[in-house]
Amino acid sequence: MRLYEYEAKKVFGSMGLTIPKQYGVIHSPDDLKGLDLTYPVMLKSMVLIGGRGKAGGIKKAKDLAEAKSKAADILKLVIKGYPVDTLLVEEVANEAGACYLGITTHPATFNVIMMASAEGGVDIETIALEKPEAILKKEIPENNMELPEDLAEEFAKFLNTGLKGNEKLKASLKDAIKKLYATFQAFDCKTAEINPLIVTTDNIAVAADAKVVIDDNALYRQGGLFELLGIAEARHDVSELTKDEQRARDGGFKYVDPSRFGGISSCDTFIKGTIKALRDRFAKGQRMLPIVGRMVGTDLPSAREFLQKAKIETPEALKDLDIAVGNEKIMADVIKDGIAKGFEVKQAQAATASK
Amino acid sequence: MQRVPAHKGMLCHLIKHARPDLVKKIEEAQEVETIVVGLGGQGTRHAGLMRDFGTTVTGGIAPGRGGQRIHETIPVYDSIADCLEEHPNIAAASIWKHFTSARDATLEVIEAGIPLVMLITEGIPLRDVRDILVAARKHKTVLFGGNTPGVIFPPEGIKIGMLPDVFYPEEVKPGQAGPHGVTIISRSGAILYHMSDALASVGIAQNAVLGIGGDGANGSTFTDLVPVAMAYENTDLVVVAGEIGGSKEELLAEDIAVNPKKYPKPMVALISGAHAPEGKTMGHAGAIVAPGQEYGTFKSKKKALESVGVTVVNSQYDLISAAKDKLKGKTYFDVSRYYEKMRLTWEEPPKKPQWGTLITKIAPDVMLLSGYPIQEVIEHGNLLETAHLLLKLDLPSRDILKKHEKTALEASRIPAPPIERFQSEDISSALAKSFLMDKPMFEVPSTGKDGPVTKTVFALGRFARYLAAILGNEKAFDSAAEEEGFTGLIYRAVTGDKTFDAKRAKLIEQIIVACVDHGTTPPSAQATILAATVRPSYEIGIAAGIGAITDVHGGAGGEAASFFRACVAKSEAGNIDLSDAVVAILNEYMKKGKRVGGLGHRVHKIDPRRTPLWAMCDQYGLSGKCVAVSKLVSDLFEKVRGMSLPINVDGVIGAIVADLGLHPDLAKALFVFGRVVGLSAHFYEETASQPQMRRIDFSQSVYKGKEKRSFPK
Repeated sequence: MRLYEYEAKKVFGSMGLTIPKQYGVIHSPDDLKGLDLTYPVMLKSMVLIGGRGKAGGIKKAKDLAEAKSKAADILKLVIKGYPVDTLLVEEVANEAGACYLGITTHPATFNVIMMASAEGGVDIETIALEKPEAILKKEIPENNMELPEDLAEEFAKFLNTGLKGNEKLKASLKDAIKKLYATFQAFDCKTAEINPLIVTTDNIAVAADAKVVIDDNALYRQGGLFELLGIAEARHDVSELTKDEQRARDGGFKYVDPSRFGGISSCDTFIKGTIKALRDRFAKGQRMLPIVGRMVGTDLPSAREFLQKAKIETPEALKDLDIAVGNEKIMADVIKDGIAKGFEVKQAQAATASK
Repeated sequence: MQRVPAHKGMLCHLIKHARPDLVKKIEEAQEVETIVVGLGGQGTRHAGLMRDFGTTVTGGIAPGRGGQRIHETIPVYDSIADCLEEHPNIAAASIWKHFTSARDATLEVIEAGIPLVMLITEGIPLRDVRDILVAARKHKTVLFGGNTPGVIFPPEGIKIGMLPDVFYPEEVKPGQAGPHGVTIISRSGAILYHMSDALASVGIAQNAVLGIGGDGANGSTFTDLVPVAMAYENTDLVVVAGEIGGSKEELLAEDIAVNPKKYPKPMVALISGAHAPEGKTMGHAGAIVAPGQEYGTFKSKKKALESVGVTVVNSQYDLISAAKDKLKGKTYFDVSRYYEKMRLTWEEPPKKPQWGTLITKIAPDVMLLSGYPIQEVIEHGNLLETAHLLLKLDLPSRDILKKHEKTALEASRIPAPPIERFQSEDISSALAKSFLMDKPMFEVPSTGKDGPVTKTVFALGRFARYLAAILGNEKAFDSAAEEEGFTGLIYRAVTGDKTFDAKRAKLIEQIIVACVDHGTTPPSAQATILAATVRPSYEIGIAAGIGAITDVHGGAGGEAASFFRACVAKSEAGNIDLSDAVVAILNEYMKKGKRVGGLGHRVHKIDPRRTPLWAMCDQYGLSGKCVAVSKLVSDLFEKVRGMSLPINVDGVIGAIVADLGLHPDLAKALFVFGRVVGLSAHFYEETASQPQMRRIDFSQSVYKGKEKRSFPK
């Protein structure tokens, strides 16, 4: 589950990281009036996708008039398909420099990996590509709950040197590094990232941005997170049309939209569930969908008997259920048949509709 | 089909990498021992399916359930350590725990040194997976999953996990499996068997099908397993089934480029997800870990693998033609034989529901107590030995038997509380009180490996005491000598004799032994089993069974004793032949509509218990006229009534009791005494191996215990 920036910052704040003061979250420019603001302020679009800055989704405003007009502009944006309907209004930190700090899971070893660069900011990807030496990357192979001291020291030193900071800054950086790591582990993050991690004129590291993705598998034990964010249950990240679906729709191409289900489950469970669903739909007068498939594997004999009996008991509801028993036909052939059947049904429907 | 020996198969080849020491054990035992961790619905079910397929499932692990059994035969242990103590050669484990508890269970398995681990659980939190991976690296564990469907080795007939039985091995000649074939390594379970199906449809066999798991982070990857599969001499081709997401396919391509020698055999890769939407990422972390590298998409995987010469396909049809091409048309079996086998599977009638007991096999004229014929047990076994046999399914050592004797004697020495047999109360009803009133028995625990047998032995001691109390024979106990043992105590309790008669005592004990059990068929055993489904105390369970022993069931011995006595009395009074007297009494009974007890049996024609009892009686010179009548009565009955009703054990016991000059009621009392053993065994078997409150159809009961064996003399 991806967190909005203001949510991620709440999480960071709860773990003791320094974050800019959040004035509030608004949904229209008029909401600004209700906030007690000290200008200048930052207006930040809350969408669950990267690249907001470049898309014009983050603006600074020096007074109410400017804030209103900029907020109105941002609220009209659609960033990479995500419409903006929420803005975070927060204080502008006294920035003396910026760096990058991120933690994620290594895609090959699955270890926790921490990354830092004194050259933070939006173009960190380019730096990774062109100036790899400007980035410090370390895997933490023991999966410790707290970042080992030597690594914390190494990262703090690396950033502080790059930022030409003093001892006070180094201590603040080290604190932020340790706390980000602790957050990553305690909140079961898949990614926890601060970009930029800015350093203020008085040598404090402040998380000016925050990106957190929580491991969905661990949401069951993150009750504290929901409490902290004031949300009742997990959000599902959006699903999109596939490229081919989009092309087919756009081009008016004739296609059937098959949905696959089943997989590795007992034949018995599969067929009983399928038949129950079809009977329920039939009883409620809902649209009946043809189902084409095959079953083979565990519990096939009892599944076969159940199907035979069911077809005799309720022939109407199971008219378009065509399940082959056994694997004499490979699945690719079954799918071919299914698609042919899909077109048949579609044509028949079109014919009825035109009458 | 004749299988490839376990030590020559791919599974052993995989184990060799992690634990070379186990290979020799596998060769010696000709099996790979596995365990099932997590015995919820799925774990329990698949333990049975694995075993039915041919896998050696040595045990199940479920904390708090040690000592129980699943599928009646697979023992359950509280911990991996407990199991390894008895079975040190466990080579593989499958883990079926819920995702919230999978971490701890998996760490326990890995840290115990089990080399091959199938982590079936899906959706384990990443942080927990990382802990698992840290441990697996340290212990060199070959970890499959999380979210693996498991692995299957068709030539060896072994599967670990949930893959269905739809795979076909090389067939070197009809009915003889060979080790060659294609090794399939797949991330997805469903795709794995669709690939297997496709290849089988053109006669291409798999020697191993390995599911590495569908979760994002998991143990062994393609880079780990493809070289191992290629190093196995009988693998001709490796088929890899990848899918979008992660970087396993790209890493494989990279390793092929860097270490081509590790990949000496042909390979085909199938990547699924060509049509899925591309994931949109948040943040930059991914791009920084691997700058400039695209990974996780269909395109990136296809490109990476093709750049190192791997054929990449995207459908079953393409897979078939690519595999055929790489194998130069080689086939491994006759496709029609494969479909024939599959057809037998899918046309098979649904399995009849059944449940098992390991205690006693009952068939017409056959009674096996955990494999030992009852005739031999009556001849050679004593009561405590037989009790141990029914409770533990094997005979005790001499030391253990001594311990049991001590326990039983101690139990019998504790005085019974004042107990009364009410006027006209059935002796079994009075005896049931020994279970319902006894504090010392109640305080003996049933828990632990030896809890049930110890408790039963203690109960037998208490039973002897109560029997003596009910019969007014307690005084005879005081003069018992140590060397008489429990046999002497039984004798004194039953007869009240103050002097010990070894022969009479032995005969009485063996009568009791003859009555210990009759499987799940008698109402008394069924009453105890039904009671046990709700997990009452042991005492309640046994009392329920004893209460079901009445004149209708188990009480025929008393009626028989009275009948024999009447026959003998008639013969003596009228000075007529015994057989004439029997015919006369039979006619009298017929006129009065009275039943002759002890004739006929629901299962047996020749009750297997009667001959050894008669023989012992004759041998000890204790056969009198009643026993003589018992040998005549069946033939005479047939002459009088025209029905063949052979004498049963109750009849024989009735005759012996009568000849020993004991009260006819004693026939039932001895029956109850013996049956305490069988009821105890059924009580504990039910609680250890069946779910609570199950619905029982006793006609579905099947003996699954030891095969016939000889009782050591």
